[in-house]
Amino acid sequence: MNALRPVWVVFAKDVRIELRRRESLASMAFFGALVLVILSLAVGGGRRVAPETGAGILWVAVLFASVLGLGRVFAREKEDGCVSALLVSPLSPGALFAAKALVNFALMAAAEVVLVPLFYVLFGRGLAGNPLPLLPVIVLVNGGFSAAGTLLSAVAAGTRRNEVLLPILLYPLLLPVIVLAVRATGGVLAGGGLAAAAEHLSTLAAFCVIYAAAGALLFPFAVREG
Amino acid sequence: MFLQVESLRKSYGGVEALQGVDLQLEKGELLCLFGPNGAGKSTLLKILATLLAPTSGTVRAAGFDLEEHPEAYRARLGVVSHQSFLYADLTARENLAFYAALYGMDDPDGRADDLLERVDLAHRADAPVSALSRGMQQRLTIARALVNDPDLLLLDEPFTGLDEHAAARLRDQLRLLHDRDRTVVLVTHNLRRGLESATRLGILSRGRLVYLEDRDRVDPAAFEAEYFRLLEVR
Repeated sequence: MNALRPVWVVFAKDVRIELRRRESLASMAFFGALVLVILSLAVGGGRRVAPETGAGILWVAVLFASVLGLGRVFAREKEDGCVSALLVSPLSPGALFAAKALVNFALMAAAEVVLVPLFYVLFGRGLAGNPLPLLPVIVLVNGGFSAAGTLLSAVAAGTRRNEVLLPILLYPLLLPVIVLAVRATGGVLAGGGLAAAAEHLSTLAAFCVIYAAAGALLFPFAVREG
Repeated sequence: MFLQVESLRKSYGGVEALQGVDLQLEKGELLCLFGPNGAGKSTLLKILATLLAPTSGTVRAAGFDLEEHPEAYRARLGVVSHQSFLYADLTARENLAFYAALYGMDDPDGRADDLLERVDLAHRADAPVSALSRGMQQRLTIARALVNDPDLLLLDEPFTGLDEHAAARLRDQLRLLHDRDRTVVLVTHNLRRGLESATRLGILSRGRLVYLEDRDRVDPAAFEAEYFRLLEVR
């Protein structure tokens, strides 16, 4: 069997459930939008913000919203013991990790389709330049967040208070990525274009690879019992 | 020999859940394992299902070693638990087609339809699992476990939560499962249901297999007395 086929099978199943329920995506988009509106009011409603401040606001909204979806994707597998059925199938833990990380990536990207335009509506005054160079930054942050988040959501799903534990474990681990994302985004919002983001992209990509490799290696220990 | 378990031990911290279990089953046997809570039945089944790693000992089934070839071993394995392993938001057909695709079946939808016919659920194929009764979900669970036509089937307390009628239907389904020389290990508290289905009977007590006998050589009335005697001895 093609090694990518089981990844696709699990991914397609999760997307189908998500499209049917829409609970993760709706809560992520709504919560993220709420954060943006509250922060917009907090800075004075329509006032200009410095590019670095704007970048911080955008990533706070995106990352706080994304953790809502992250917890659900793995918690769903724990309902009715479905994760056990996956673990007793020929699906390797690495393939399960890849499928879940892809689902988280897709959910995050879908939420950003709502949140990034809303950010420009609320904070766009005074921000210079083309937003297109944000795309590689967004892709790399999503990659790092999804990889680290998938591993930690598997750890947290086995505990009683997983909704609390997940952000407590995840945000400190993602701190380097968040700092780099804010700097790269700030550069783009200041009109620096792709060149402003480029100096941070390789470091962001390195973190993305580290999280993905660590996630794939440690995931079997997170999902299996003793 | 189809299933060979040798010197299987499992410790959690300082507690030995399994203290050296040896077990051999021929192809096509249905072993029913009885035992009180904490006897190690679920631990043994979890190890056989590769959900738990043993502290020591070996398990081989159909020529595959559980430690050396876990994925090949799992491809021949089916598991039924008191949990359904079904996605409540997917329909009965979508659930079976998903698992069929996961096991690399060429025509997952066709396989799903075949299995729905076998467990008498074709008329509810497009109903979400959440809309099915407990008995229907249990039948769908059995269909799910058969999706890869497994050689070894593990059943963990499948009668839990079922009323008498649903339990009787499940017993009939177990006969369906036990066709074509499929080897089955069934763990249950329910002595009567277990005796109805088994070809071999075993009793686990405090992590040891203290009794193993062919069903044909056991008088059901005497077995119950023997069961309680063995639990008291240990």
